[in-house]
Formats: sequence, structure tokens, C-alpha cells
Amino acid sequence: MNSFVQGDPLLCIGCRTCMIACVVAHEGKRIFEIDPDGYDFHPKLKVVKTWLVSVPVQCKHCENPACQAVCQVGAISRIDGAVIVDQTKCIGCKSCVDACPFGAVRMAPLGFETNPDGSRRAVANKCDLCTGLDGGPACKRVCPTNALRLVERENIDEILTYKRAESLKTAAATISPSITV
Amino acid sequence: MSNGVHEIEDAALLFVFGYNGADSHPIVARRIVRAKQKGAKIICCDPRRIETARIADMHLQLRNGSNLALVNSLAHVIIEEGLTDDKFIEEHSTGFEEFKELVKNYSPEAVAERTQISPQEIRQAARMYATSGRSMILYGMGVCQFAQAVNVVKGLANLAIMTGNFGRWGVGIGPVRGQNNVQGACDMGALPNAYPGYQNVTVPEIQQKFEKAWGVPLSNKVGIPLTQVPHYVLHEPEEKKIRAYYIFGEDPAQSDPDLHEVREALSKIELVIMQDIYMNKTGQFADVLLPSTGWNEHDGVFSCCDRGFQRIRKLVNPPADADVLTDWDIICRISTAMGYPMKYDNTEQIWNEVISLCPSFIGATYEKLEKYVNIQWPCRSTDMSDKGTSFLHKDGKFANPDGKARFSSIDWQPPVELENNEYPLILSTCREVGHYSVRTMSGNCRLLRNLEDEPGWVQMNPELCEELGVKHGELVKVLSKRGSCIARCLPTDRVKKQAVYMTYQWWIGACNELTNAVLDPISNTPEYKYCACRVDKIEDQQWAEKYVLDEYAKIRENMGISEQPKGGKAA
Ligand code: SF4
Ligand code: SF4
Repeated sequence: MNSFVQGDPLLCIGCRTCMIACVVAHEGKRIFEIDPDGYDFHPKLKVVKTWLVSVPVQCKHCENPACQAVCQVGAISRIDGAVIVDQTKCIGCKSCVDACPFGAVRMAPLGFETNPDGSRRAVANKCDLCTGLDGGPACKRVCPTNALRLVERENIDEILTYKRAESLKTAAATISPSITV
Repeated sequence: MSNGVHEIEDAALLFVFGYNGADSHPIVARRIVRAKQKGAKIICCDPRRIETARIADMHLQLRNGSNLALVNSLAHVIIEEGLTDDKFIEEHSTGFEEFKELVKNYSPEAVAERTQISPQEIRQAARMYATSGRSMILYGMGVCQFAQAVNVVKGLANLAIMTGNFGRWGVGIGPVRGQNNVQGACDMGALPNAYPGYQNVTVPEIQQKFEKAWGVPLSNKVGIPLTQVPHYVLHEPEEKKIRAYYIFGEDPAQSDPDLHEVREALSKIELVIMQDIYMNKTGQFADVLLPSTGWNEHDGVFSCCDRGFQRIRKLVNPPADADVLTDWDIICRISTAMGYPMKYDNTEQIWNEVISLCPSFIGATYEKLEKYVNIQWPCRSTDMSDKGTSFLHKDGKFANPDGKARFSSIDWQPPVELENNEYPLILSTCREVGHYSVRTMSGNCRLLRNLEDEPGWVQMNPELCEELGVKHGELVKVLSKRGSCIARCLPTDRVKKQAVYMTYQWWIGACNELTNAVLDPISNTPEYKYCACRVDKIEDQQWAEKYVLDEYAKIRENMGISEQPKGGKAA
């Protein structure tokens, strides 16, 4: 089963440190060596703020990914428990952006190639769980409130066990208020 | 703060008033989140749906500028419902009877319209605050940046006194200061009326003490507050005029209200010296620039908002060709050049002099700062067992001659410049996370600049955007009686329709072109949180986008920043 990074809106303070960490993780030391405008600032997650929540939205690494299904050139695949875009293969058709129900895929001009008019070619950009980078998901590591966690198979079991126990409490209370579970 | 930042976690109730921790101080916001995890209740009073409001048990989304009306009404309910701590009031305070009379006029019904909060909510909040057993108040610039500011602080203190929420762990009242080390600046006497350690310049014994230590005669006159400098340049008679202005780590041409007036003053002063780490707007008016080291290039001592002293240590050497000096070295050289030789070998020597002259700091030695990391003043003994003071007013002892807390009976007063036909909206300035203060530092950090850059945003309620026909990201013109600027529209239902919000760090979207320079009479802090404004749609967006780019280039050129047009390494 694929893992994914999940944010807790009760802990998130909307500081966007995770977005910066994502770029730093993928750009590495290069950021400090090149011209400030010569690198790409395209975080693979986006902090969303509404009336009720502030929390980053990023790829859920679906088991049957809609983005993968619609990609005509096979640029999206499941590799080692993560859904990964091969940006060199991407033709920029935006079908995955359209297909993803979470808004987790964005087009970004990553500068692999230039278009005939000189502009940079845009490709699909989304969370890759920091696959291949040291230390695992960078966003999770930097969050000042520990609002992010990597959910793996075992965690899902834990969450389910907890939820079942909680729901029993409510069930018991409806039958007889005196029962404590 | 009367209590330590670390105590926030242990409060049973946090009453957060006009303080947006998540945007101003993420590290303090983390404590608020942790308090919630540990079971604390949270009441958030703020006209905006700030992050704390989201996780709060109650959000009192009060009308901008109604602070003291709400605070007095909470006191009204606490008295009416018999929730006061009578023993504490009796033994440790004065002035309660008069206060009781005053708040009679502040029933929740009487203030409901003014505050836009229902009477039931005011009652419920008052009950929660008064009965939690351990309630802590945190307040910020939403209280301080009004023409009626200090009196609201006193009002909040009234709440803490009448419920006995002082002098214990996890209670009290916490002004979470606007800038890092602003507490340090005050502690070190960068105030018009005090020597280091809050020792008043008008007290003869204190004057003598410092004269003896420094070997020079000193003045016993209170100086001029920062925010009155333009007045002293432009409107005072010749003999009282300010002629020279030495500005250091500050950017008044960006951060002060009514920038037009500030610019006029800066151009009229005979001599402006600026000491900073990068070029900024004020630098454009400087006759002399003194480049100094950045926060990670020097040693020193820093005071946190909760009176805690901590060491800061040099991490890196400044670039060899940078030709910069530490701030203290520059000060020593200037002083020496002016005929008062000043020499120290390191910051420890300076610190030893400071604490030797300040009875409440004397125990905060480098040795203890090294060993215990954080020492909160008062720390009156050099003995290693004195680790400072986490909370003030232990056993109900207050810093008044009679040792008692004083109730202040003060009526609410409306903000100075109200909305009108021509300017129907309220403008309030605010912070955004990522950019610090005027962004002399953060604007030169490439990643933070990537996150947000010129011309900045104006937060507007979606209904207002719809009425004006403006969309997300569109450039709009924001105007007040004093000036105008251009910024991008940010529709958000986190703000009410009657008010718009802008952060004050942008060169193009410089909201201080608009703000009103009226001051609180006691603190001399400007009313940044309230002035009348209007937002105009710009039909020709192409023109506006070009204007932003051109203006930005012009400012950079003026500052002598020559790199590539969008380049990051300013100065
Ligand atoms: S770093 Fe953490 S707290 Fe900050 S926005 Fe991201 S998830 Fe939220
Ligand atoms: S896991 Fe890595 S790639 Fe995915 S959002 Fe976090 S930092 Fe970005």
C-alpha cells in the first residue's frame, strides 16, 4: 500500500514552512549557489486556508491513481509505494490536473526544455514523497507544530482501531448512558 | 509579559486578544496549539478569523476599534454574576469601587451593537475567563496600535486583577511584543525616559550613578519619542528642532505612519545616518551609511518578550570583502571619534557593565546564560541558585509604592478617523508569516521572497470584491486622505466586509502611505489598526502591472541596487 503525508488542521498554523522545505529538498544546495532567479520555486504541496481549516493539500498517492489512468504517455507510475511523475516524459497535456479529485497536481514551468517561443516548458508537478532524498518527507520534518505525518499501512490500522473504539462509546451511550466502554 | 512564554502551555484558559501568533510569532503560536492539546480552552477576540480563532472554543469577532467596550463589558458580567475573586481584590488592589461604578454602563446589551458581539457570547466568554482557575491573557498589536491602546491594556489588567489571575504559574497578562528584541531595546534603555533597566532619567540618584560609572555629566530631561520625530523636524521652532537623526536597524520611511510626512521630515533634517545590514527605503535619505553585520554574524544578548535573556552567537563570518563591522564596534568608534573614548574587547565586557548598573539584571551573568540558557529578569543575585523570575507579582505584590494593583476606570473611546462617504472602509495593517517587519532581512532571503513578493496583497471580504468587481490577484488601488498605493486583491472570508488588511513591508503596496499618524498619548504608538480608506478597481490591468515593475525598478535604482531586475541579492 502507498503511504501519504497528511496534515492536521487542528495543529497547522498556516506558516508554509513546509512549502519552502519541499523546494529546498528538491533543489538541494543548488539554491544557494545559483542566481536567485535561476531556480524554480514550485512547492509540490499547497497550504490552503478557509474559514474552517488551514492545512497543506498534497498528493494522496492513490492505489488506483486517476492521474496515472489518464496519462497518455505513461509519464505517471507507481514506484516503491509512491505515485511519481516522470517530468521528462510529461507532454504537458494537463489531463492529470483535470483528473485529480484533490487538486494535488499543478502545472509548473520546470525548465527542462524551452518552447519554440522561448518560454519554459510546463510539466505536471506533484508530491513524490521525497523519494530518493535523504531523511524522508521534508515537509513533515520541518513543520513547527508537527502537523504533518507520514501515514503508512500500520498507521491506518491504528486510526481504524481508535475510531472503532470511539464509535462504540457513542453506540453504548445511546443504548444506556450508564455503560462505559 | 507577567508570565513566561513556556507557561502558556499550562494555562487552563487562553484569552487571546488582538494577537495573531501564527503570523507574527509561529514559535509562540506553537505554544498556543500545545496548550489546546493539553486541554486548555481558548477564547479568541479578533475582527479576523485568524489561525487561533479556528482552533478556539469561542471566537469573538468584534468590530475593529471596539476593544475597550468589549473588555469593560466582560468586567461588567464578571461583577454582575459574582465571579470576582473578592479576597484578591480586597488584599491586593485599590480602586475597585470606582471601577465597579464605571462598568455599570457596559452591560453586554449596551455594547452589543458597537462590538458586533451578541450579549450571550459576551456573558459566556466572561464566565469562562473568570472560572477557569488559571486564565492567561495574551495580547498583541491589535490592542497596542490604536490611539486608545495603553488604556485597553489597563482594561485587560483589570480583568486579571478582579479574578485573581496574577502572581501564579500559567496566568497573568502577556503583551507578545511586535518585534524580536523590542523587549531588549526597552531593557537597554532605548527609550526617551530611561537608562538601562527602566531607571528613570529624571531621578537624581540614578543620574548620579550613571554619571559616576560613565564619567560624564548626563541630562535629566526626557527625550523625544521616535514617532514624534517628524513633528520636531517640521513644526517646532528653530531652537527645538531636530537636526541630526541616527537610525539604526529601523526603516521609518517604510514602517512609520503617513509616509509622505516621514519623507518630508527625512529630507529636511540636516544629517541622516543609517546603520543597517541592507539598503532600505530610509537609506535613500541617508547622508552616511554604516553597513553592519547581520544577526548570524555577531554575538550578543537578546531579550525575549517574557523578559528572558538569551545569548546569540556568531554562526558565520561576514564575507571578507564586505567591509562591515558589528553594531557595537561601530558605536564605539563613533563615540571615540566624538571625543568619548569607548573600547570593549567583546560583548561579555559590555554585558558585565550593563548588569552591574541594573539591579534587576545583575544576576543574569554570562556564566548563568551559558548554563541555564534563558534567564528572565528580575534576577537580583549573582548566586547560581537565582535562575531569574518566570512570573511576576508573586503573592499578589505589585510594583506600586503600596504594593497593590490599581484598577483603572476608563471609558471606551472610538478610533480617530472613522469611515465616511468618500472613504467607506476601515484599513488595518497587519503581519504575514514569512516576512519579518519591514523585510530588510526577510526580503533578502530568496526563498521567503519566492513565497511572497511585491506589490503585496490587500485582504478583502469576497462580498466586497464582488461589489467592486475585482478578482483574486487583480491589482487594485487603495486610497486614504493621505495617499494611495497599488496592491493585489486577496479575497478571503476570514475578514469582515467593513475592513481591509494590508501588511506594511511592501515597497509598492506600502500601506503606510495611507495610515494615520495619530498617537496613543501614553505610549506614542500610532493608530496603525484603523483609518478610513477606499479600494478602487483599476480598469487597465496591463498598465498597472507595468507600473508595479517600473516603480520597483525605480526604487532599486534609487537605492543603488544594480543586479538583474528581479534579482534577490539586494544591496
Ligand atoms: S509547516 Fe506545518 S504548520 Fe506550517 S503550514 Fe505546513 S503543515 Fe501547517
Ligand atoms: S513529501 Fe516531499 S515531495 Fe511530497 S510535499 Fe512533502 S516535501 Fe514535497
